[in-house]
Amino acid sequence: MSTAEKMLTPTSDVQALLRDLTLAWFDFERRLSRIPIIERLERGEFTIEHYQMLLRNLRPQVVEGARWITRAASSFTADFAELRSKVIGHAYDEHRDYKLLEHDYVKVGGNLDDIVSAQRNIGTEALAAYLMQQASLPNPINLLGAMFIIEGLGQKMAERWALRIQSALSINEESTSFLSYHGKNDESHIDKMMSIFTNEPAAVERHAEIVKTARVVARLYALQLEEIDNV
Amino acid sequence: MSIPAYITASGNYLPGQPIGNEEMESYLGAVNGKESRLRKKILKSNGIVSRHYAMDREQRSTHQNSELAANAIVDCLRKSTIDKSKVDMLAVATTQGDLPLPGMASVVQAVLQLPPCEILTTHGVCSSSMMALKSATNAVRLGDKRNAIVCASELSSRLLKKSRYEALDNQEFDFEAEFLRWMLSDGAGAMLIQDTPRQRGLSLRVDWIEILSFASSYDLCMSCGTTNQRAWTVKDGREARSSSQSSEPQNGKYSTAALATMPKVASPAKYLDEAVSWQDYDTYAEAERAGALLIRQNLNILQEIVKVGVDGFLRLINAGRIDPDQIDHFVCHYSSHYFRTEILKLSQMLGCYIPEEKWFTNLYTKGNTGAAALFIALDELISSNKLVPGQVVFCVVPESGRFCTAYAKLTVVEG
Repeated sequence: MSTAEKMLTPTSDVQALLRDLTLAWFDFERRLSRIPIIERLERGEFTIEHYQMLLRNLRPQVVEGARWITRAASSFTADFAELRSKVIGHAYDEHRDYKLLEHDYVKVGGNLDDIVSAQRNIGTEALAAYLMQQASLPNPINLLGAMFIIEGLGQKMAERWALRIQSALSINEESTSFLSYHGKNDESHIDKMMSIFTNEPAAVERHAEIVKTARVVARLYALQLEEIDNV
Repeated sequence: MSIPAYITASGNYLPGQPIGNEEMESYLGAVNGKESRLRKKILKSNGIVSRHYAMDREQRSTHQNSELAANAIVDCLRKSTIDKSKVDMLAVATTQGDLPLPGMASVVQAVLQLPPCEILTTHGVCSSSMMALKSATNAVRLGDKRNAIVCASELSSRLLKKSRYEALDNQEFDFEAEFLRWMLSDGAGAMLIQDTPRQRGLSLRVDWIEILSFASSYDLCMSCGTTNQRAWTVKDGREARSSSQSSEPQNGKYSTAALATMPKVASPAKYLDEAVSWQDYDTYAEAERAGALLIRQNLNILQEIVKVGVDGFLRLINAGRIDPDQIDHFVCHYSSHYFRTEILKLSQMLGCYIPEEKWFTNLYTKGNTGAAALFIALDELISSNKLVPGQVVFCVVPESGRFCTAYAKLTVVEG
């Protein structure tokens, strides 16, 4: 069976997993909409200072992101070679993303040293510590739940936020390259996850752990945005 | 063990002749004599081709809302074996009754000349119909009542006539306030609930009704009575929700930590320190001039209605209350054709897709009658010969007011 065919016929177990992850996602979205900096963005009362603040607070997590993904790759045994390849590929694609953040920061008048030296905020500390610890456990398939939330954020919210920032600050895409890049991935997020879950039987077996991880990551990601500049 | 409750008869009332898209503005009136520039765009998106207004071309009401309700109930009772003198309970739902008080059920009972009985008025937006249906059904299931009439009725055209818009001090274009002008229309639907199915013909057994509201997660999305929908969100509450506690009560109870972070009544700050209700103005005339009496839709967050509806559906699937494959007829009160496409897309991905041939709606010809829409659709489905004993009818009423969705599972039974 080709990958395409597999993607089109997810089992009911895979669909049940996707439904639970979607519920976790909806809860996450509702929570995000109530976080002060995101509310501000949605209202359009968003200044260059707010944007710089957001970028400064995102960078440490993006830097950490590359680390926990590569750590996760090394925690997979040969039984999960295919999944490991995907994780390595993903890490390779994104491990220099923080450069985009730095570029945007400087583009909107920020000082490079300020963003490079920005400390992890309290929420980022919790998020990074949790992900690194989970990535260090053997065969951390539950991190697919983390991927569902973090990648989902990239694909479902990043473009929307990029457009709102552009209109609030009268800047163009060149200054929102990090958000715009993550928002422009054509492949449907949910199709991609469906394909991974369908091709990896262990995912369905670890349904509850994946959903739990998604919920924890959603909560900690929101915490990171709630604790902006609280370092 | 509760007693089963059945919908044994239904009826509807749509005032006057169907009014087509080209005529509707001559009924509601052109604001300041100028044709709306939005009308065609909104109609293209909602897909509605005709509707009814209890209003003539001079914007004079032809009926009271309670009369629309009474007419639908008469139609329903005519198709039942019950005489109006035997009605045990009357439950009436509406978005806006004729009078701010008393409850609309009192007026409807008087119009119908029903003898003394229990009454209930539910007030809200679209889902108020399901709230009334649930309460009436529960009264029968408990054995408290042998039967109950449930009616949902809307007369929104009075909110939409040109004089409402011409009364404003500020005549600048306001999309939020004009949007619903080209969406809503008038009508009523009624159902009779009994503890036994009808002897001849089909009844619908009410298996369950679930109502899930997300009001604490969103700003107002559809309202009347304020110029600023955002001001009705508790600021302190937003920060309280930023604590480590979940934003939603677990098992229906807030944890002590969550309670501790909620705003205190005794504190000097009010819950809603920026909110202004139409009743806060010195005169009602001032409220109208300020635009506080217009019906508004917050279009920035309206699209969230799809996620909220799907969220509740997924919870029901997970709880084993419904299996998408068992649904034979899907009656969803969507306000606009646009949402139909959105719902189909999302549900397809999640394996909770209900094939289009199972969808039943009369939105396009009967209009979006708010709370009444589901009952008007169900009445048409019941009379359509499409129902077969044993089939499952699944109803969904998403309400954008502040994001509440009601779900009902009905089973077709005979004799």
